Amino acid sequence: MIDIRLIEECRGGNFNNFRKLVELTSPFAYSVAFRMLCNEDRAKDVVQETMVTIWQKLEKIKSAEVYKTWIYRIVINKCYDEMRKRKRNPEFMTDEITWEIISNRISEAPSATLENGETLKIISVLTNKLSNKQKAVFVLSDLEGMSNDEISEITGISKSAVKANLYHARRSIAEKVEKYL
Amino acid sequence: MKPGSEKYNKVLNLLRESKPLLDSTDDIEREVVRQIMKINHRRITIAGVFDFLFGWVYIGWVRRCLITASGAMVLVFVFQQIVIIRRIDMLSKQIVVVDKGSLSKQDDEVERILAGYRNFGRRFPSKTARISEIQMKELLESVNELKIRYKEIDDLIEGDPELKKLIEKKLIENNRNNTNL
Repeated sequence: MIDIRLIEECRGGNFNNFRKLVELTSPFAYSVAFRMLCNEDRAKDVVQETMVTIWQKLEKIKSAEVYKTWIYRIVINKCYDEMRKRKRNPEFMTDEITWEIISNRISEAPSATLENGETLKIISVLTNKLSNKQKAVFVLSDLEGMSNDEISEITGISKSAVKANLYHARRSIAEKVEKYL
Repeated sequence: MKPGSEKYNKVLNLLRESKPLLDSTDDIEREVVRQIMKINHRRITIAGVFDFLFGWVYIGWVRRCLITASGAMVLVFVFQQIVIIRRIDMLSKQIVVVDKGSLSKQDDEVERILAGYRNFGRRFPSKTARISEIQMKELLESVNELKIRYKEIDDLIEGDPELKKLIEKKLIENNRNNTNL
């Protein structure tokens, strides 16, 4: 959890405190951006842009809870922008190799984890048919573990729309898992 | 397959457990600070240009001079407006000299009536008659009224043969008297 005092100190223009804020904020901002964009470099860019936006609008933050929601909102919006750009230049993904990786990993021990490269390939293959909203809702709910209320606040869509998007996203992914695994 | 199936849950758990790792926040910190410095520098540059162009308005004596000059300009403007209004008012009260040239744009009938008025009355030497616009209008109106009345009398005489005879008789008598005199 980010301390509100740290944010208040940053408002005074203290770069050392802001570095600390960047250090604390970057990991969870990166996690969402990475899972949304499925690209490490772009995710880092989004985190950088997010932090610059935070610096410019630190005055608006009233509490630590609001800060976290606000960060997620900025990250999601910047990811949407990136995804729109990427839609014009889609990346080619080899599905067969990815499904092989997934198959191997889930047959291993339950505690097995993936490397960044593998994670982005798997998420990309599973979510490539989803809309941006569906993907955002899926990432925030099933991968980041947020509640529907939080997702509604972050994405700016109603709770019923969150539920509907989540339902469609899960069904689409489940169908793929059944088909290829 | 439904979202709650075993394979689906395994894949999802695998993704949940595999948190994207941000190798180092130093690069992001450095880049963020660099971008912020760049933005601040740009702001300072713009502020410097504005100061250079308009900074002189903050000098006390310059500001006082500007206020005085603007006040003087307002006074001059008000004075000019008053003078103009007075002149317009004075001109509107003045008598307008009406001569042949000034009536050139009016129809021939008006010109003819005016010429007749001059010749018939002989009250004013030609080209020295001075009448106002209002008087001119009144004159034209009275001429028109006389014309209408003359027509009415003419119609009345034409419609009554006895009256016509009587008038003719009177006119002949008048002519005789004039000839005798």
